[in-house]
Amino acid sequence: MADGHDVKRVRRQMRLGLSVASVGYHYTAWRLPEVSSIGAMDLQHHIRAAQIAERGKMDFLFLADWASLMNLDDPRIARDREHAQLKMDPTLVVAALAAVTERVGFVPTASTTYNHPYNFARRMASIDHISGGRLGWNMVTGFNPEEAYNFSHDKPVASDVRHARAGEFIEVVRGLFDSWDADALPRDKASGIYFDRSKVHFLDHKGEHFGVRGPLDVERPPQGMLPIVTAGVSDNAMELAARFADISYGGQPNVEAARTYYSTVKGKLAKYGRSEDEMLMMPGIQCYLGRSQAEAEDKFARIQALLDPKVGIGHLILNHFPDLSGLALDAPVPDLAMATDMMEHRISGREPELTLALIRRAKAEKLTLRQLFDVAMCGFWSLGLIGTPGMIADTMEEWFTTGAADGFNVQPPYMPAGAEDFVELVIPELQRRGLFRTEYEGRTLRENLGLRAVPSRYAGSPEKGAPEQSLAEQPPAMAS
Amino acid sequence: MAQRRKMNLGLTIANIGYHHAAWRHPDVPAAGAMRFEHYRRCAVLAEAGLFDFIFLADTASVRSLDKPNFARDREHEQVKHEPLALMAALAAITSRVGLVPTVSSTYTDPYNIARGVGTLDHLTHGRAGWNLVTGFCPDEARNYGWDTVPPPEMRYARAAEFVDVMGALFDSWDDDAVIRDKASGVFFDRSKMHRLDHRGRFFQVRGPLDLPPLPQRHPPLFTAGTSAESQELAARCADVVYAGKVTLEDARSYYASVKGRLARYGRAPEDLLILPGIMVYVGRTRQEAQDKFDRLQGLLTDEHGLGLLATYGLPDYSGCDLDGPVPDLPTGIELFGQYASVALARAQREGLSIRQLYQMVGGGFWSLRAIGTPADIADLMEEWVSTGAADGFNIQPPCVPISAEDFVAMVVPELQRRGLFRREYEGRTLRERMGLPAAVSRYARTPELRAAGE
Repeated sequence: MADGHDVKRVRRQMRLGLSVASVGYHYTAWRLPEVSSIGAMDLQHHIRAAQIAERGKMDFLFLADWASLMNLDDPRIARDREHAQLKMDPTLVVAALAAVTERVGFVPTASTTYNHPYNFARRMASIDHISGGRLGWNMVTGFNPEEAYNFSHDKPVASDVRHARAGEFIEVVRGLFDSWDADALPRDKASGIYFDRSKVHFLDHKGEHFGVRGPLDVERPPQGMLPIVTAGVSDNAMELAARFADISYGGQPNVEAARTYYSTVKGKLAKYGRSEDEMLMMPGIQCYLGRSQAEAEDKFARIQALLDPKVGIGHLILNHFPDLSGLALDAPVPDLAMATDMMEHRISGREPELTLALIRRAKAEKLTLRQLFDVAMCGFWSLGLIGTPGMIADTMEEWFTTGAADGFNVQPPYMPAGAEDFVELVIPELQRRGLFRTEYEGRTLRENLGLRAVPSRYAGSPEKGAPEQSLAEQPPAMAS
Repeated sequence: MAQRRKMNLGLTIANIGYHHAAWRHPDVPAAGAMRFEHYRRCAVLAEAGLFDFIFLADTASVRSLDKPNFARDREHEQVKHEPLALMAALAAITSRVGLVPTVSSTYTDPYNIARGVGTLDHLTHGRAGWNLVTGFCPDEARNYGWDTVPPPEMRYARAAEFVDVMGALFDSWDDDAVIRDKASGVFFDRSKMHRLDHRGRFFQVRGPLDLPPLPQRHPPLFTAGTSAESQELAARCADVVYAGKVTLEDARSYYASVKGRLARYGRAPEDLLILPGIMVYVGRTRQEAQDKFDRLQGLLTDEHGLGLLATYGLPDYSGCDLDGPVPDLPTGIELFGQYASVALARAQREGLSIRQLYQMVGGGFWSLRAIGTPADIADLMEEWVSTGAADGFNIQPPCVPISAEDFVAMVVPELQRRGLFRREYEGRTLRERMGLPAAVSRYARTPELRAAGE
């Protein structure tokens, strides 16, 4: 392995996140006999996931979120048969995980539309301290109308409003994180001076959405600024990503689409004075893994067999298919036309073009409803693979080396075995190829991701104290 | 003979201590407030001492930084953790003790807080509580787009509506709503789910909450405050009141006043627990206890002491002879706050010097304080709980963790010996441990609500 190690040091390596949606990305994960259906509500489930990610030297554990249930008014969407609607606040799950892990990063999701930046900044700064600088933030603006109704809105908040607010929100959070210079807190027992007033800054922000005076009542977070993850293919979302995001969580099903997305988003960076290497493109990848192709296919077939047709049909409806209730599972589906009634519920990244392509394919290949479910549940709107570690590593390598990805967000279909399979089978293969680290390089999430440090806006010179220095305990000084 | 009611004890961690000079003590970690290791020690200690809960106060701001004569730069309270985040982290390393973060109803949204407190309750399998405040600090208001603190009428009306919405969100799901039946494929039963469709003066919340029913259904709600509005809010919806009376007489009358309001909300006196704060300096001898107090008092610098006087609304005495008598109040100077005139009157009555005045203020004269042997402390606590002044206490260690260690090592065994405090954790949830009645969903209490709902 010595030569492999040398190769590794000079080669660009991929970043890997572990994306855990409750007990798995497959809607039916909870019905597998070995999966704990209570999982997402159990801290031990999340601890296990974090430990798997840490064992695999993965960059971070990613937790999606929305502050509501979804589509409850629409009986065609069988949300009552899924496991992902009831969940804990991911920022607090991550705070708990920070206390019992050492190296892995965390990326909880939080919305800029339904939070206040002061509340958010202090919570996230706290968790960055608790974790020793391992926190990131999946910044969302909240596409789901039902969230709006939980936060005193009569109707969905328009995309333009949400994205304008998000921009201001991020600026306020950045400003608040800079409130305390790295060396603002001498805590000098001898002199009795706890902090240096000249190194604390009011923000005095007065904007369209927020008035925030500051300073933040939390010491500067170890990372200065949290790595920001965003997703989305709308113009608003891509512009926001180009301005602020360190990581873009893409969702393209094939390498051509991923390359297009990669170059489109990266192409916007220059406009904001950023270089292409300042953003990592990390599409989602869902895999069913086996030591043989047959074993992998068995795993997929086993979970598909538990898929309630109501759930399958509901998700096709959400992806702009007509209601296919009543069709026989094993007869070819009739000619279909795309429906438009669910556009309000459109999930970021799931493009109507994908639906049109699948409709065309169903007709051409005379797919049965059951076969349509198979296609829709793996590889329809994002990369989905059923195969051996070698085959999956090949695909990841192709994406990584041909301008489609800088890394991946691994989406285990079921937990914890789906994540364990990836860590035990694919990661060693990626490491063997020199495509992934064998040890964490840094201490903070930023360092491990290879992102530049974010100096305070008030920092005069680059050699001025690094944020970490302010964390040093004061030696027990003499009492006066 | 009925078993003697045990007292409830909470451990209030004001980060590194309730004494203003705590951080200068050689055995106190000055940076502890931002250090998770510090809180990890506190949590271990709280469970070793069989405390009902750990309590974390909060103000979402750095305070009065623009008033240099307040000497905030000498204080250790200005940087700290966001309470829900810190409590969630403690959830992962504790298994018995309750966790009670402070939440402001003025600057947050009930849906977010219901998720936050609900998440904490799930993370801890039923050990969460929440302390509701309305925020008195202008610096806090300015972080949320206000010029100053919104008027009390608005804050209390908002708090009352906030609590109602939280309760209704917690009742979103019946106990048997989330069935997770692998065989039938039904994860939750829609017919046992309830929307709020709340439309009030401050909030519109449709619901349901996106969490299964909480282990405690309604985690215990803590409030504080002496105003009529705050006592009324407590009587209507609080499970625990964090009281702040200093004399036995005042504490009894406050206790009677709050408990006397319960009946009109259909509640029994034992449905609400009143726990005053108490700062304890305990030593094996009275002299040792007094030395501990004196040592901290000696760590107050003149700059800090004068700043504290200004903070508590007294005049700026810088430039005066600190060992001379407290001068008469110059004309045109107004005292502010609830403590200033009390402190000044006492200084003049007792002929205190300025230094003695700042030491009196800095030593926490506004708070119940006990200095003595374990027996002395237990005597005081016993008197309060046996004469209608308290149901237990919020222990406010002057230094953290060392004063809390003293309390656990010396006072807890004495209370146990007297049969006043538990010898092991009983029950499973914070509610059960505190002896509070189980929370029942409004839809179970009032079947007609169910019929009217979904």
